[in-house]
Amino acid sequence: MSNSVISVISRFLEEYTTTTPNKLKVVDAYLLYILLTGALQFLYCLLVGTFPFNSFLSGFISCVGAFILGVCLRIQINPQNKADFLSISPERAFADFLFAHTVLHLVVMNFIG
Amino acid sequence: MDRSRLFGLFLLSLALSGAQALTPAHYLSLSDVARLQNLLSQQFTDLDSAYYSVVGLTKLGASVPDHEGVCQFLKSQLDPTSVDSLFFAAETSQAISGCEIPVSNETRDLLLAAVSEDSTMTQIHRAVSALSSLGLPLASKEVVGALTGRINKEDNVMAITSALQTAARLSQQTELGGILEEIEDLTARLDDLGGIYLQFEEGLEATAMFVTAAYSLSDHVDMEPPLKEDQVIQLVNSIFSKKSWDSLAEAFSVASAAAALSSNRFHVPVIVSAQGPASVSHSQPTLQLLVTDVMSQSLASANVLVESAYAVASKSIILSQAPFTLNDGVFELNFMSNQPASGYYQFTVAVTGDSRLVGNHVELKVKVSTEVSVTNMDLSVVDKDQSIGTKTTRVDYPTKGKSSFIADSHQNFAMSFQLMDVNTGVELTPHQTFVRLQNQKTGQEVVFVAEPDSKNLYKFELDIAERKSEFDSMSGTYSLHLIVGDATLENPILWNVADVVLKFVDEEAPLAIQPKTLYVPKPVIQHLFREPEKKPPTVVSNTFTALILSPLLLLLLLWLKLGANISNFSFTPSTVLFHVGHAGILGLMYVYWTHLNMFQTLKYLAIIGSITFLAGNRMLAQKAVKRIENK
Repeated sequence: MSNSVISVISRFLEEYTTTTPNKLKVVDAYLLYILLTGALQFLYCLLVGTFPFNSFLSGFISCVGAFILGVCLRIQINPQNKADFLSISPERAFADFLFAHTVLHLVVMNFIG
Repeated sequence: MDRSRLFGLFLLSLALSGAQALTPAHYLSLSDVARLQNLLSQQFTDLDSAYYSVVGLTKLGASVPDHEGVCQFLKSQLDPTSVDSLFFAAETSQAISGCEIPVSNETRDLLLAAVSEDSTMTQIHRAVSALSSLGLPLASKEVVGALTGRINKEDNVMAITSALQTAARLSQQTELGGILEEIEDLTARLDDLGGIYLQFEEGLEATAMFVTAAYSLSDHVDMEPPLKEDQVIQLVNSIFSKKSWDSLAEAFSVASAAAALSSNRFHVPVIVSAQGPASVSHSQPTLQLLVTDVMSQSLASANVLVESAYAVASKSIILSQAPFTLNDGVFELNFMSNQPASGYYQFTVAVTGDSRLVGNHVELKVKVSTEVSVTNMDLSVVDKDQSIGTKTTRVDYPTKGKSSFIADSHQNFAMSFQLMDVNTGVELTPHQTFVRLQNQKTGQEVVFVAEPDSKNLYKFELDIAERKSEFDSMSGTYSLHLIVGDATLENPILWNVADVVLKFVDEEAPLAIQPKTLYVPKPVIQHLFREPEKKPPTVVSNTFTALILSPLLLLLLLWLKLGANISNFSFTPSTVLFHVGHAGILGLMYVYWTHLNMFQTLKYLAIIGSITFLAGNRMLAQKAVKRIENK
């Protein structure tokens, strides 16, 4: 059983490194970073307590929101999905990404206290 | 059968209550009259105060000192060109004897000219009064015409009152019907306050002057004014309720009203009051009443009689149609000769003898007091098991029982006595019959009530065991007092009957009496500020801060490894501007966190954002073009 899991994972990693364009890998690295940051925040909250609860929430939501926006950006600039996003060029996707982030950061800063 | 009787009684009581007339609540007592005279006797410095003082005092029946001096004053202050001046001088001179104001033809013409529809009502009144007082002829018909015309123009209370006063100075043959009707109109304008007061909203002076004018005119034409008895009494209440007066004019108006109400031809309000408290007893068997007019002048010609008197408690009628006798200005009735039992009696007193009397049925509450004596005081200590007493000791008032009584928890202490009226021998049940036991060592008191049985024999029983909580189970010697009191008793009793030694079971050590500490300062409350929440130690938070920043390092590493670079960075102005703007937005976020509020941030964001957007748009468009070119 574990054998098949390991083989699936190794195959996936191999395919990933070979077929994914560099641009997407860059975005994926960014997504991983966001994920780790969010997970660590949550861990802190679990261990130490929710004392400034609003700060925890704003930090966590910032990570979640950034992750989602990153995923959207990745989907939109993936050349394989070009057919689904005919009217949205990668530049347009990036501009949307930036705008959405501005709004997200505004909200997060408001809530961070 | 019973129901119809009840209904009949109900109707009768309704009728009786309706027939009960209002009686004056306020009047001028002798001290009030003296105060009024004092106010009016002050030194006057000008003609109008002279008028108010002199004429006011005359109306009160007081004498004016120094007629010569007053006359000289009037003559010196007189201004023959002023109607007001002439009025004051003329009226005042009439009030004092032997004072003649010199009159010239010009004066007469001036006064006559003032009587016209174009002068104010006050002017007309003063001119007519001056003419009348100076003995000059006046044309009554013209005056009436002027008054009627003026009433239409000046519709206020004071003006119409002046008109009434003026009409009273005209000749008897004049047709004054129209003016007379004004009395009724003015009466309708009075405000009824709670059924007790009737007054003009213009105030005391207007009400008092109206009363004066109405009676003065009514006397002049010999026609009863259209004022009902109740209204007269309400007016009396309004005018005489104020006992200190603000101005000479107000004092003068009250004096005029008092004079008018005590000596007019139609309505004379009667004041009936008891001399001293309305109470009789064996030492003071006569009920004394003062019957006066509103100025406290005695109405010696009146007949005073008691229409009926009944006891409040039993409603039995004790007197009917009993006359008072006049003795040295006071009306007396020997009530004790009827042998009334002690208590309260409701008297209905009627004052007759003059058809003008108003408010002459008065309700009076009279108290009959008596003296009480305690007899047959028997004290005993009874065993609970047997009802037969061990020994009954008789104690006589006011001596104290010789030996103490000892009682413990198995016994009851019993007391019985009778309260009797000294004068009549009737048994009494006063309101207060208390038995007080006071601990001689600690001063603690316990009070009980002694109650009468059906034969009016007072009994008190103390069950030692049952009552131990009231005594705090403290054994010891208690002094026993009997307290008897009532409003109708002239000799309340506080009698130390005997000493009682009480023995309680399960006695606690005698504690010192702690007075209830209700009023001692309570412990001070320190304010507790809200505790700040427990924060984790700085080490922990610092560790986690570092931990959270670590993925950033990982990101940079990964990007380096992937070969992400900024080699494509073109230094076009839009690119530079875009990056600067974006950095500005991020900086704005930080500044928002530290300094600004949402509105300011939105403002700056709008500015920076729009620049960044335009620049970014340009930059991305260029990038897109480049990308398409490269394809």
